[in-house]
Amino acid sequence: MTAETQIDSYLTALRLHLGPLTIAEREEIVREIDAHVRDSAEESGASVESVLARLGSAEELAAQYRDGLLIRKASRSFSPLLLLRAALRLATKSIFGIFVFFCGVFGYSFGAGFVIVALAKTIVPSHTGAWVQDGQVVSAGAFIYGVSPMAHEVLGLWIIPLGLIAGSFTLLLTTFLIRTSMQVSQRLQSRL
Amino acid sequence: MAIQRAQPNQSEQPDRWEAQLRKGALEMAALASLWQGRLYGLEIIRFLENHSQLALAEGTIYPILNRLKTEGLLTSEWVEAEAGHPRKYYSLTDAGRLRLRQMAEAWTSFSGGLSRLLEPVFAMKENHQ
Repeated sequence: MTAETQIDSYLTALRLHLGPLTIAEREEIVREIDAHVRDSAEESGASVESVLARLGSAEELAAQYRDGLLIRKASRSFSPLLLLRAALRLATKSIFGIFVFFCGVFGYSFGAGFVIVALAKTIVPSHTGAWVQDGQVVSAGAFIYGVSPMAHEVLGLWIIPLGLIAGSFTLLLTTFLIRTSMQVSQRLQSRL
Repeated sequence: MAIQRAQPNQSEQPDRWEAQLRKGALEMAALASLWQGRLYGLEIIRFLENHSQLALAEGTIYPILNRLKTEGLLTSEWVEAEAGHPRKYYSLTDAGRLRLRQMAEAWTSFSGGLSRLLEPVFAMKENHQ
């Protein structure tokens, strides 16, 4: 391969792996790396091959740009999907990330659970509620088959606002926790 | 030395720790290289090589510069050069200068404190020898 085709194939691979960025961002990066390779080879008299080797593979280089972008976006986002995706990415890098990811999954499931129970009360009111028997809560939530006839339901329609409040609170808290973790990890760039 | 040879596995850990330490300092080092004026990527890499022992994988610096720019600590401009292609020059913004000053202060007090903490370790080493 000539030097030109080596540079071209590296930049093509880089462009490919930078996929999620905007075209303008992507072309600017490619242009800068192109200039780097040419300057570096010319200045040191090293072969294009060794200059490219020092840069690392196009895939690794692109991943560093993409990680930065994903985490930056996530630290300002409210989307559970984006936040969990960024947390998962962080989880491949550090124990802290794994912890954040599992807290995220747990928090979102719990929050969604509360909201679903509140909504279920409007659809299947007789199967949704909190049941008490002999002074102890025996079951709470929405049930397909209903609960023991010995227990009596105590919350009534109150379960709707309670579920919605507890659900939104849990969802917001989870969002806030993941976003804060993203901001912390941005500071601790050594982990990424 | 005898202790190190007895536990060869442990020697890999400090290497990884050192690599993380270097990488963590890179952001500050990149900002510091621009203190006296604008530079393009390769010049920043050469500057860091010449002024510190920060031998780095060249690919790591460009994503860091990109991030510092989106954080508003750097600006960049394309400048035509004799080489036949333009080069992307970076310079510090006011926010970047401020941030670097804060980092430099934090770094100095942090490393000063740690050095004092480590004094006994160095003293111990001499005692053992």
